[in-house]
Amino acid sequence: MDSGYIAQQLVNGLILGSMYALVAIGFSMIYGIVRLINFAHGDIVMIGAFATLAFIETVGLPFPLVALCVFLTCCGVGIVIERVSFRPMRGAPQVTGFIASLGISIMLQNIGILTLSAQPRNFSFPGYMQTILHLGSVSFRIIDLVIFLTAIVLMVTLVLLVKKTKLGIAMRATAENIDVARLMGININHTIMATFAIGSGLAGIAGLMWGGKFGQIDPLMGYVPGLKSFVAAVIGGVGSIPGAILGGFILGLAEVLFVGLLPPIYSSYRDAFVFGTLIVILIILPNGLLGKDLEDRA
Amino acid sequence: MKKYFMFIALVLLSMTLATPSFSAETIKIGALYSVTGYMSSIDTPSLRGAQLAVKIINENGGLLNGRKLELISVDAKTDQKAAALGAKKLLSQGVIAGIGHSDPSFVLPSAPLFQKKGIPFVTSGATLPTLPMMIGDCLFMVPFGDDDQSFAIADYSYNTLGVRNVAVWTDNSMDFTKALSKFYKQRALELGMNIVLEDFFMMGDKDFSAQIARLKNTSPKPDAIFISSIPNEAGLTTKQIRESGMTLPIVSGDGFDTELIVTVPGKELANDVYFSTHTYRADSRPEVTAFVENYTKEYGVAPENAFAPLGYDAVALIADAITRANSAKPKALKESLAKTMGFKAVTGEISYTRASRVPVKGVSIISVKNGNYTVEEIWMPKQ
Repeated sequence: MDSGYIAQQLVNGLILGSMYALVAIGFSMIYGIVRLINFAHGDIVMIGAFATLAFIETVGLPFPLVALCVFLTCCGVGIVIERVSFRPMRGAPQVTGFIASLGISIMLQNIGILTLSAQPRNFSFPGYMQTILHLGSVSFRIIDLVIFLTAIVLMVTLVLLVKKTKLGIAMRATAENIDVARLMGININHTIMATFAIGSGLAGIAGLMWGGKFGQIDPLMGYVPGLKSFVAAVIGGVGSIPGAILGGFILGLAEVLFVGLLPPIYSSYRDAFVFGTLIVILIILPNGLLGKDLEDRA
Repeated sequence: MKKYFMFIALVLLSMTLATPSFSAETIKIGALYSVTGYMSSIDTPSLRGAQLAVKIINENGGLLNGRKLELISVDAKTDQKAAALGAKKLLSQGVIAGIGHSDPSFVLPSAPLFQKKGIPFVTSGATLPTLPMMIGDCLFMVPFGDDDQSFAIADYSYNTLGVRNVAVWTDNSMDFTKALSKFYKQRALELGMNIVLEDFFMMGDKDFSAQIARLKNTSPKPDAIFISSIPNEAGLTTKQIRESGMTLPIVSGDGFDTELIVTVPGKELANDVYFSTHTYRADSRPEVTAFVENYTKEYGVAPENAFAPLGYDAVALIADAITRANSAKPKALKESLAKTMGFKAVTGEISYTRASRVPVKGVSIISVKNGNYTVEEIWMPKQ
C-alpha cells in the first residue's frame, strides 16, 4: 500500500463526495427552510437524468442549454410536488411530510418503471468530458473536475442567494417563524414554492452529472443517492448549505477509504458502514458539524 | 406510445389479480415475476416472453383440441414475502403449473408451496444447480446450472485466453452471483490458476473506483478479471475498469449478457470482454430468429436480454409436456415434464437426463471486441 495508492483513493473519495455534495445541497436547502426531510429528492435526481437524456438525444440541444432546460424541468416537477402533496399538509407534524415524501418517492420510481421501462439505459456526454487527466500517479476525468467545481459554485451561489437577496431574506424569515413572516407581509406560499423549485432544480443538475459520470441511468437510480445525501446532510448539519458540501465530501472519502484500506471482504459492507455512521453522528453530534441549534437554523 | 399504454394497462390488469376464468376450458398457468423493484429489468422481459408464447400458442389453436392457455401473472415485487404470497394466490386460482423468477432467492420462498400441492413449477431464469434437489420433484429449470456456465468460462479463460492469475469480483448481495463466483473459483483452482485478488460489491453500487485502485495495485498482476454481477452492474464495471486504463480481459457469466456492456462504456472501450451465456445471442438457429422477429413485432423493441427467450421457453416447455401427456392434470404434466428429451427451446435443447435434473444444455462463449458480439464456441457439459 504505497503513497500513490492512497493518493488515488483520496481523489476517488473526493470525486464520489462531490457527487453526494451535489445531491445534498438541494436536500439540505429544502430542509433548512421548510423543515421537510424530502425522501423524494433522490427521485428528482432520476427525473433530471432522464430529462437530460431526452433533451440531448430527442431534442438535440447544445450542452449548456441542456443544463438550463433540465434545471427548469426539475423546478417545475418540484413545484408540482409541493403544490399537490406538501402544501395540503402544511402545519401538520413533521413526520407527516416525511412519510408523504417516501410515498412520492415510491410512486415516482414505479411510474418510471412502468412508463420508461426498468431497463437501464446508456447515457453519453460529449467525448471531451471523458478525457483522462494524469497528475503524478493519480488519474481522474474532466467530468470529475466539472462535478467538483459545479458543487462548489452552486454552494457559493446558493449561500449568496439565501444571505443577500430579497427572496433569501424571505426564505430565512419563513424558516424562523412562518406566522410572523406572514404578518410581515411575506407571501409564504410563493417563498416555499421557490424553495422547492430551486432545491429540485439543483437535484436535476445532480442527475445530469450522475448520468454523465456513470454512463447508465434507470428509474431506481435516485433512491440510494437520495439516502446518502441525507446522511451527508446530517453529517454537515441538516439545513446548512456549506455543511451539505462538507458532509458530502466527508461521506465520499469515508466510503472510499473504508473500501480501499480495509481487506476486500469488507467491501460489500460499505452501505452498512454509511448508515452506521449516520447513527453514530446522530448520537454524538445531533446538529452535525456546521449545524446550529434548532431555533436559528437556515 | 399506444403500445406502452397497452403494456401498462396489461401490467395493471395482471396486478389486480381479478382475472376471472371466462371459460372452464382454459388451461391456467401462473407467472411469478417481479415487474417492480430491482429485479424488474430482468423479470419484465421474461414475463413478456411468456405472454408472447401464450399468445402464439392460442393463435395456433391452443392445446388439447382447442383449449386456450391462460397466463395469470402476479407481481413478486422483488420481495421474498411477496413471492410467497403470490404463489399462494396463484395456487388458490387453480393453476396447473407455475413459471417464474430469475434468481433462486425468490424461487426458494415460492416454489415449495407448489411442491406441497404437487403442482409443477418451472423457473425460467434461476440457475442454482441444487434447486431441484432442494425443492423436490415438482421443480424444473429452463436454464443451465451456474456450475455449467462458470465451468465453461473458466475453461475458456484457461485454455483460450491463457489466464493463469485471475482476480475475482463478486456481487455479495445475491445467491446467483455468489454461486457463480464459487463455481468459477472451484474450476480455476482445479485447472491450476491462481486467484490473486478477491473483491466484493453490492447490487446497486455505482462507484467502483476504490476496488479498481486495489485491482491496479495487485501483485502478481492478474491476467484477467472475473466479474460476477447482474446486468445492472455489467456496463458500469466494464466502463470504469477500462477508463482507469486497464486493458486486461474481463470475463463473466450470463449476467453480462446485455447491451449495456457496449452502450455504457461505448464501442471503443467495450473490448476484450468474454462471457458464457445461454445459446441465444448472435445465434442463427430458426427458433432464435423466429423468436426475435415475433417479440419485436409484438412489443416494438428487440428482446431486452436472454431472460425474454427464457420466459418464452418456460411456457413452451410446459405446452410441449401437456401435448405429450395429452392431459392438463398437474400429476401427468409433472411426469411428462420430467421425461422431456431434446426439446428445441429458443435458448438451446433441453433434456432432463441428469440425476440432478438440471438440463443438459450448451453454453455459448461470446466475445465482445470493439462493441461487436461474436460466438466463440459452444461449450457442452458432461452428461
